[in-house]
Amino acid sequence: MGDMHQPLPWHQIAHHDMLVETTHDERARLDTIAHLNVFAAQRLAPTVKTAFERKGVAPADRHEVRQAMERDPAFRAWSLVRRNTMEMRQKTGREIVGRQRTALRDKADQLNHAPDGKRSGLRLDPNLDVPRYVSGVDQHLMQGGYTAEWLERDVSNAANYDAGMFATVGGSAGPYNDAAGRALCEWLRREFPAFVPSRIVDLGCGLGHNTLPLRELFPSAEIIAIDVAAPMLRYGHARARSLGIDDIEFRQEDATRTSLPAGSADLVFSTMVLHETSHDALPKLLHESYRLLRGGGLCIHLEQPPYRGLSPFEQFMRDWDGRYNNEPFWSSLHESDLQQMMTKAGFDSELVFETRCVAPSWQSAKPTEEDFGRAPAWYAVGAWQAVEGSTAEG
Amino acid sequence: MYSHLPQKADPNPPQPTTLRGRRPEFTDDPMLDRLYAITLALVAELSVTRARVDTLERLLDRKGLVGSSEVENFIPDESEATKRGEIQQQYLDRIFRTLTE
Repeated sequence: MGDMHQPLPWHQIAHHDMLVETTHDERARLDTIAHLNVFAAQRLAPTVKTAFERKGVAPADRHEVRQAMERDPAFRAWSLVRRNTMEMRQKTGREIVGRQRTALRDKADQLNHAPDGKRSGLRLDPNLDVPRYVSGVDQHLMQGGYTAEWLERDVSNAANYDAGMFATVGGSAGPYNDAAGRALCEWLRREFPAFVPSRIVDLGCGLGHNTLPLRELFPSAEIIAIDVAAPMLRYGHARARSLGIDDIEFRQEDATRTSLPAGSADLVFSTMVLHETSHDALPKLLHESYRLLRGGGLCIHLEQPPYRGLSPFEQFMRDWDGRYNNEPFWSSLHESDLQQMMTKAGFDSELVFETRCVAPSWQSAKPTEEDFGRAPAWYAVGAWQAVEGSTAEG
Repeated sequence: MYSHLPQKADPNPPQPTTLRGRRPEFTDDPMLDRLYAITLALVAELSVTRARVDTLERLLDRKGLVGSSEVENFIPDESEATKRGEIQQQYLDRIFRTLTE
């Protein structure tokens, strides 16, 4: 037990004006959830692997592993712990947010209100046709999903998401839950130190966790964060302001067909958006990132790694979220050839690439080992936009 | 008890607890899945309770305020007992989540 990686206690989450208030027992409950997740990953998942190896079978693919394993007691027990931990995490978040919902809404209102003579950075579009593949899914067991509103100008689900994510990943994304954004910045800094975009677009920003690190790396860039979910944008804009960042625009738009002009951005990115994008919408989102980029610009999408190259057993374990955690597009995304899709979206195949982005760790967060997709390291697919009359890399 | 009287619109309506999407069953007996869910909630709540007791004992000890025999002989007064009852109800709601949501 001594070698178990400890999740960060919840009280180490970064404090800001939009963060929920919590009681002693609520924090203890979130800590318990973080520990249950770590326990499931580090102590129970290996028992599933042992059970699989004892069967002495050699499945050709993850579907055959599932046939061999879905009735196995070790797999079932691991699954029951994971599923119930997720349900308890959602209930805990709902309880915390439920009793302060109106107070949170009022705080967001205040922070989102533009100072006299200034335009608010929050641009909502009440007429936006929110796609069903977002509004119709309770992603990762979150009641109502990203778009539900329980009262006027609600921010409940965003507040729940912000507070609960820290517990779900045991703090491994850092106190600001922003490891994917920091991983992207670290990659840019190391690989392309001379690349300085003047306009950055984050497609599917959610509440902007992973948008904010870009502001630090590119202090003078115009940053536009786009999402279809108004509660996430309200909360995200207010959260950014309370963290002292008031020059990122949060816009309610559909990332598959934004109102931004073609060739108007130098960096278009997303973090953990592709696996929540439907099969039909995904090529459109990739084409939109192509359309938005000017020559020499960069598109990069951070995701969980594709199944390709993983053993059938590992694929089966990673596919758990697709089957049991309300992630209906998870499995097909991880089986997609994203490089080929990028080429189909318009990018020059010579300029399409895959890479890995790793977040620099926080002082107290130990580097976590692979945890079936919950370590602060991501696969990324990207492409440079060809410069007119040239195929040279930007 | 006053449900026959005109009601004001609730400014903070309760959030629905039903999840869209099927709740998977991992065992051959639906009752066993429910039992797992209840047991895991108990695991979590016991852990929360232990954290709270640990907090209290450390604070009391740090301040030199309460010896262990005072804890053993404690009897709540009426309002304290009522408050405990409310906490009990919320506690059971969490434990039996899988049967109600």
